[in-house]
Amino acid sequence: MLQFARVAARSVATSHRAVVTPLLNSAITRRDFSAPVENKDQPIDIPNPFEKERRVCILCKHNIVPDYKNVKLLSQFQSPYTGRIYGRHITGLCKQKQEQVEKAIIRAQNCAMMPTYHKEMDFMQDPRLFDPEKPIRPHKY
Amino acid sequence: MPSYELAMVLRQMSRPEIVSVLKRTAGTLLDRGCVIRKLENLGTRALPHKISEHGIVHREGTYFNISFDAAPTKISDFMEEFGRDIDIVRRRIFKIEEPEEFQCTLHEEMLPPAYRKDVQEMIDIAKRKQKRKFKYNSGLDYYPFQK
Ligand SMILES: [Zn+2]
Repeated sequence: MLQFARVAARSVATSHRAVVTPLLNSAITRRDFSAPVENKDQPIDIPNPFEKERRVCILCKHNIVPDYKNVKLLSQFQSPYTGRIYGRHITGLCKQKQEQVEKAIIRAQNCAMMPTYHKEMDFMQDPRLFDPEKPIRPHKY
Repeated sequence: MPSYELAMVLRQMSRPEIVSVLKRTAGTLLDRGCVIRKLENLGTRALPHKISEHGIVHREGTYFNISFDAAPTKISDFMEEFGRDIDIVRRRIFKIEEPEEFQCTLHEEMLPPAYRKDVQEMIDIAKRKQKRKFKYNSGLDYYPFQK
């Protein structure tokens, strides 16, 4: 039993050598003929294939500048229960757009175009841009 | 002259009365050397909440928007003048500004904290604020004598 195993091991070793030697030879001959070819196993320079696609917020994607007269759009960023403006961790907007939206909402409320303590009843059935129950970033509340 | 936007809410009135109020407001603007660019009617509707103005409680109003060019020193005069007008429930004047061009930074904001620029800046500030520790330069990582 033990002898058989030894024989098998030797045969494997020889076959391995037999495979390896011609490969080495071909590599040498190729190097002689043309310009030096680098080893195929070396790492190559390519952009990171695992890099995620660049995320763009919904207002930047459609190139929308929030305006205080566009109450229907602004009320989508308002809580239907308290009328408060949802934060950046819920709306999923970038810093600048969130700032613009907040400024526009406060302006509209100042001009008596928009309620401050609730959402306009006409806009309650509007499609939701985000889920306040599932913020994109965790927060302490 | 910079461009401004006057947003005002008129009280519930009949059509000819609204016309006369608009003529009056436009007249005050024009008298002070303004250029009126646009006049918009945003419609009549119930106010989002009751507004008490000039001793009357208003529940409905007509929204108007006037874009005009005026000298910046005149704006406070307009606010004062329209504030005395009992047909105007609310008036606000905003400067019209071109929106700034910028790139969306949501991707950078969604990176893990260690990769975010503002977090890195905060870490730098914390490092700078740390008290400097005296180094003995003895080549040892411990103090060789009794303390
Ligand atoms: Zn954005």
